[in-house]
Amino acid sequence: MNQLALLVALPLITAFLLPVVNRVSTLAARWLGPLVLLVTSAIGISLWSQLGDSAVAVELGGFRPPLGITLYADRLALLFALATSIGTLLLWPSRGEEWLRQSTLALILAASGSGLALSGDLFNIYVFYELVAVVSYGLIAARSSAGSFAATVRYLIVSSFGAALALTGIALVYQATGTLNLAQLSQLAPTHLNNLQGLAAFVLMLIGFGVKAELFPVNTWVPEVYATAPTRVSGLLAGVVSKLALLIIVRLLVLVFNQPEALTVMLVLGMLGVVTGELAAWRARDFNRMIAYSSIGQLGIMFIAFSIPGQAGVFAGLAVALHHLVVKPAMFLLAGRWQGSLDRLAGAARTSPLGAVLFILLALSLIGVPPLPGFWAKLLVMVNLMAQENTLYSVGAWVIMGGAALEANYLFRVASSFYHRSEQQTPPVAHRTRDLATASLLGAGLVAGAVLIMPLADEIEGVASQAANRDQYVQTVNPEALP
Amino acid sequence: MPDTGLLLYGGAFGLILIGIAGIVLSAHLVRIIFAVALLEAGANLLLLLATWHQGAAAPIIVAGRVPDLMADPVPQALVLTAIVIGVGILALALSLALRVQRAYGTLDMHEVRRHMEQDIADEAGIDMPSSSHAPAAVQTARQESGA
Repeated sequence: MNQLALLVALPLITAFLLPVVNRVSTLAARWLGPLVLLVTSAIGISLWSQLGDSAVAVELGGFRPPLGITLYADRLALLFALATSIGTLLLWPSRGEEWLRQSTLALILAASGSGLALSGDLFNIYVFYELVAVVSYGLIAARSSAGSFAATVRYLIVSSFGAALALTGIALVYQATGTLNLAQLSQLAPTHLNNLQGLAAFVLMLIGFGVKAELFPVNTWVPEVYATAPTRVSGLLAGVVSKLALLIIVRLLVLVFNQPEALTVMLVLGMLGVVTGELAAWRARDFNRMIAYSSIGQLGIMFIAFSIPGQAGVFAGLAVALHHLVVKPAMFLLAGRWQGSLDRLAGAARTSPLGAVLFILLALSLIGVPPLPGFWAKLLVMVNLMAQENTLYSVGAWVIMGGAALEANYLFRVASSFYHRSEQQTPPVAHRTRDLATASLLGAGLVAGAVLIMPLADEIEGVASQAANRDQYVQTVNPEALP
Repeated sequence: MPDTGLLLYGGAFGLILIGIAGIVLSAHLVRIIFAVALLEAGANLLLLLATWHQGAAAPIIVAGRVPDLMADPVPQALVLTAIVIGVGILALALSLALRVQRAYGTLDMHEVRRHMEQDIADEAGIDMPSSSHAPAAVQTARQESGA
């Protein structure tokens, strides 16, 4: 089970070896990165098959917690570590002149992303979070245009602001409990953090880590970054990195901040995210910003879902998150040749028929049309929201329905323009084969998900029930802890 | 003499507030970056104070003698890490600010944002809305949805 550390260590070492390898052989350097990600994915899959219902904790360097840092893997953490490896592999940066630097950054992103998913120590999470942030600045600015530098520096400011707030929250937690180990915090939380200081710490960390999860007040960077960054990087940030930030917040909620007020804060911010994101997407007039705003709305739905108390919330939120994890990167891959004004897309189905069909498939699933997985995910959220006694949750359900209506409106507007013949202008050029192939793969995954929905739902429910199990986390990390 | 602990906590929260105010209120990019640095300094100080005790000795055991009251070394190690991260990001931010200044000839964030929005709009081939509530944009959107 020590292979767990390899998920972080292997890409990290390779990233720094890459420039050296490049001196010897450019061909080897080009293929080394994807190869290592294949290996980490294989390790992840083999761990997944061994794990079953149990969970493992690895003490790094042999230091016992709470002083040592633990890596904790249950199926939820492993799933997201795996998603990071596979996602980075699928969205591997295009081959420009800067390929060496881009590959290095992508590998560090895979390493720190896996670390974020697996880490069981609050400060360690902060360090990995900052590492993900720094690497993403480099990836976003890859096009070296003036606009991309401006967008990056604006993102850097929001992100550093968030990180400093999260650090303040961590300081408050440490002040109250004297530990940063999540398992130990989970034991101390009912007595030490069930007060105003605990709530303040949670809100600070929610906003801090929420920057990457496109949470409502700290998501100003989303449209400009996704409009200026290379589309593959945008897909990676919107698809994978946002989910990692969300995973941290869910872990904190389940293990440490089990207070109704904390859930309410998240519910309200999620609703505001859905309303603002979907309205802005409806008004957007270029493809990239439309899907960027729509991703804010989608993440708002996830925040609403995760604010449902108990295992039901984790299950519903996880379903929406996994669906988005597949759909959004595919959307951004299609944006590779379709970026720019929506008016330019008239007749796009003639030059890229497969792209148009894929877009319609993804759009239908995003809106929530049966029998696609997006429908089941949204249905799950709605049913659980309606089952809550608090009226605020039913408001959340109506907000999601309204958002879906807006989504249907603007996505179909685009889809119908694909089949419009325009006399004056030429339709956009066809997609690159590599983009289209990756997007088709994700689309095929979506269809497979629709066919195998029952076993898939059982599997996700199992992951969620394990993730919602506080006692297992505490017992696995610290077997001597009292039950 | 005022209570040292109160003074230190006041300093930490004061730095955090100055930092947030600077980020929100400043328009000059370099000032915003420095405000971020102040905010980080405040957060670091707060982390150090988390286990601070008046008159605590450094956590070093000399000649087998254990001091009565020792400072907790964990936050000190953490803050060291946080400072290193902060310096790295500060350098990156300043270098990006330099690139922005070279490209747009200004460090005023309102100007930078306007130029950037213009760049994005030009690249996308859409008109630049004159304000965020431009009626033209809404009208186009309505026409498109009606069509």
